[in-house]
Order: sequence, then structure tokens, then C-alpha cells
Amino acid sequence: MPTFKDPSAVTLPRVTKGKRPYFFEDQSIDQVMTFFLELMTEVMVLRDRQDTLERMLDEKGAIDREEVRNFIPDGDIEAERTAERSAFVSRVLRIHTPGGREDEDA
Amino acid sequence: MSETAIATTAAEALPDIDSFLKPTHDEYSRQRSVAVLHSHAVLNLRFDVRKTYERNVKPQFEAENGRAPKDGYEIAKAIKGDHFFKFYSAIRYNAQEMGPMTRQASVERALPQMIEVARQAARTTPAGGSLRLDPDFEIPRYITQVDTHLSPGNYHSEFTQDDVAQGVLLGRGLSSSAGKSRINKTRNFSGVGDSIAYWLKQTHPDFKPRRVLDMATQAGANLLGYPKAFPGCEAYGIDTAAPGLRYGHAKAEFEGVPVHFSQQNAEKTDFEDGYFDLIVSSFFLHEVPIEATKRILAEVYRLLAPGGILAFMELPPHKACDPFLNFTFDWDTRYNNEPFYAKYRSQDPTELTVGAGFPRDATFEVTVPDITSFEMDKYPDFLRGEVEAPPHGRGGWYIFGARKA
Repeated sequence: MPTFKDPSAVTLPRVTKGKRPYFFEDQSIDQVMTFFLELMTEVMVLRDRQDTLERMLDEKGAIDREEVRNFIPDGDIEAERTAERSAFVSRVLRIHTPGGREDEDA
Repeated sequence: MSETAIATTAAEALPDIDSFLKPTHDEYSRQRSVAVLHSHAVLNLRFDVRKTYERNVKPQFEAENGRAPKDGYEIAKAIKGDHFFKFYSAIRYNAQEMGPMTRQASVERALPQMIEVARQAARTTPAGGSLRLDPDFEIPRYITQVDTHLSPGNYHSEFTQDDVAQGVLLGRGLSSSAGKSRINKTRNFSGVGDSIAYWLKQTHPDFKPRRVLDMATQAGANLLGYPKAFPGCEAYGIDTAAPGLRYGHAKAEFEGVPVHFSQQNAEKTDFEDGYFDLIVSSFFLHEVPIEATKRILAEVYRLLAPGGILAFMELPPHKACDPFLNFTFDWDTRYNNEPFYAKYRSQDPTELTVGAGFPRDATFEVTVPDITSFEMDKYPDFLRGEVEAPPHGRGGWYIFGARKA
């Protein structure tokens, strides 16, 4: 039995055990396909988020679209967005074999 | 009832373990989006792969060999260089792999609370079920060698004491394609148990099982239908993976259904001879080597009482499909980390059943309608053989089995 972590400290594995198939002669294309599909997912998420926001604002009668168009964030908001963007980039640029390893022990 | 008794009940009231899983707006949206990508690959692009096969790959093969490909293996080899096939595969592979990843963050956040609920369920068993785990259990190597279905951690991995994470992550109830708003109405992976139970009741009206066993039950998603369909029937579920058993036990106790979960290998269980009247499983045998399949079916024969029924939902075998369909099914063998998939499908389920000791004239192979999506007023027509069930995985489920003499 391995030594158990505290349940609040568990990070589930993000790499699949098993030899990864490559469908293209150039494996870089397979990696780019992963980037592309992750990115596509994120675009769908964004569209949902925007849809949610617009519906809520519309319901509450709180939106001024002109104001939205001219909005420039202050430093705090920009810092928050930077953190969001970094997490986004890590998700989208998910490498098949971090550190060149095919498998990562669970 | 005394005040103390009420207070105890309130303190011990078992929460719904799933209520702690709270994906954020974006996590939920990510789950739904990946489900759409996956459905697109397996349900839409598949038709384009057939087109590209008919137009390009097959004529080329015929020109070189003077005949059409004779089976799925030949098609798989011939289509490998096709451009469309590469993109289809890359999309299907990635969408499959992304599925659990979209759910991990919410499972990690809820984990401490979910483990507490599972512990409470095991301690208090308000519905009268039970959970029996074996700390010395050895997970078979055929399960640990790769992550099945490209799910990191697979079913069995445990990362903390009394872990439920992989059970929650891969439990069918959490699948973003499950539930009311599922993307495709005919792919309800939790509808199998209800569908087989319903079919059994219609075709065997006198059958009243005292006990049912679900092999490779995971979290029992396809077991709960049986005690509901056959009142008084005791439900047992076994699996090699503890996280799903803990999670499933907490769910069943919360729902008020007594289920006896235990961590066992279906090849050799500790139940007495003839303990069960009904033994079921779903999505199971194609994940184990053929030698294990034979041992499992022999164990089923031992565990069934006379008159007992074996009813396994499985992939349709090679003999039941055309070469192209076999090729698309068997894609999963190499590309979805299911190494025994094609080998299992190459067997004849009836021969396997007879080989385990069942009388040949008591065997069956049939595709039954998924009752969560079928137009049920047509069910009598299906039973009379006037209407076919939809194909396996698209509104129907392929099952095989036998009745013990």
C-alpha cells in the first residue's frame, strides 16, 4: 500500500497509461490536433459563458452594450484575467508526454 | 419515538454523495462541449469513414487483391494511410481522452466530503446493504497494464485512504452524456439493467429471482434496476476496483436500495454453489482476456441455482456484424486501450456459454430495446418478432446467456 495523501491534497493523474497511438506520419500533427480540440472546447465554453452572462443581464435589465464595448480593465481585474489566461494556456497546450515520459505511474 | 432517537436519525441522515459534486459554469460547459466532440466523431464522422472506405480504400484493396477485404482486420490495415481516417481517429481519440479530464477538477474539490459520506454509508448502512472490501486484494495485471478507455488512473487506482475518486470520475451517472439532457437519446449507458430486467419479465413471466449478482458492477449503475423490477430480490455487486464499490454503496444506501457490494474477482468468488438465480453484467467481458472470460462463465455456472439465468450485455460478436462494422467496433482495441476487445468479439458467445456447461438448447443471443429510449407501445411487436430492436449501442443492447437446467 502506498502512503496515502490527505484527501484535500489529491491531484488525479492527467496522463493516460498505455502506448499512445499516432495517426499521422509526423507525430507533431497528432499533438497539434490535441491543441486544436482543446482550444475548440475552450471556445465553446466561452460562448456558453457569454450566453449565460447576456441572458442574465438581459433578464435584470442591467446591460449597456456601448459600455461593454468601451470597457478597459483596471490593474486588479487585469491580474485576475492574467491568472485565468495562464490556466487556459496550460489546459490548451496539454502535452501528450510531459517530460518525454510515455507513462506516468499512478 | 423518543427525542434521542430522532436526534440520532437526524445526525446520521446520509447525504446524497453526488450533492457535493459542484462543477463550475465553465467546468460543466467543458464537459458538455467534449461530449459533443465525442458524439460527433463516433456518430457522425463514422458515416464519412464508411464513405471514404467505399470510395477509396475498398476499390484500391480490390485492385491489389482481386477481392474485397474479408474482415475488419483487413479493413483496419488497408485504411490506415487514409487521410480522413487519420483525422477521424485523432478527433475520436482526443475527445475520449478529454472526457474524464473535464471532470477531474470538480471531483478533486469534492473528494474529502465524498469520502466522508461513503465512510458514513459503510458505517451506518441505513438501507440495509453492505460493503465488503479486501485490503489484500490483488488487482489482475490485465486491468493495471493500461488505463482502460484512456481514463487516467483507470477504475482501480486509489490516491488517498478510502478513496472514491475514480469511482466518481468513471461512474456512469456522472458521464456528461448521461441524464435527461444527454447528447444522444439512444446512448444511455445506465439503461442496460432496466432494459434486461424488463425483457426478462416479459419473456420469463414465472421467473422470480431470490438473488441477483452483477459482475464488474463498478458503482452498481446497472444493478439497481433488478431489485426494483423483482421486488424482494436481493442484489449483490462485485468488482475488482474499490473506489467504485465505495461510491456505489453510498449511492444505493442513499436511494434506499439494499445492495451488497464486495471486492472480488469474477473468475473466483467466495459465494456458495447455487447462491444466485440471476447473474448479469454489462460492458465487461471484452475488457478481460479470453482465458479469464472462460473462467468467469464457469464461475457463473457454479453460482447459479438450477433454473437460474445468465444474462450478459456485451458487444455484438464478429459473426453478427459486417466487416466494416467490425472494423469500427474494433477501433477501440488499440485506440481506446481495450486490448482484449477484438479477441473477445472473435468468439461465439453461445459456444462460450455451452463451454461453461449450459445446455445448448437453453442459450440465447438477442438485441433487446433500451427501454429508456424505445417507443414502448411497440414492445409487444418486438416480442412477437415483428419489430427489431435498434442496433446495439444505438437504442438496443446485445445480450447473450442461458438458463441452467
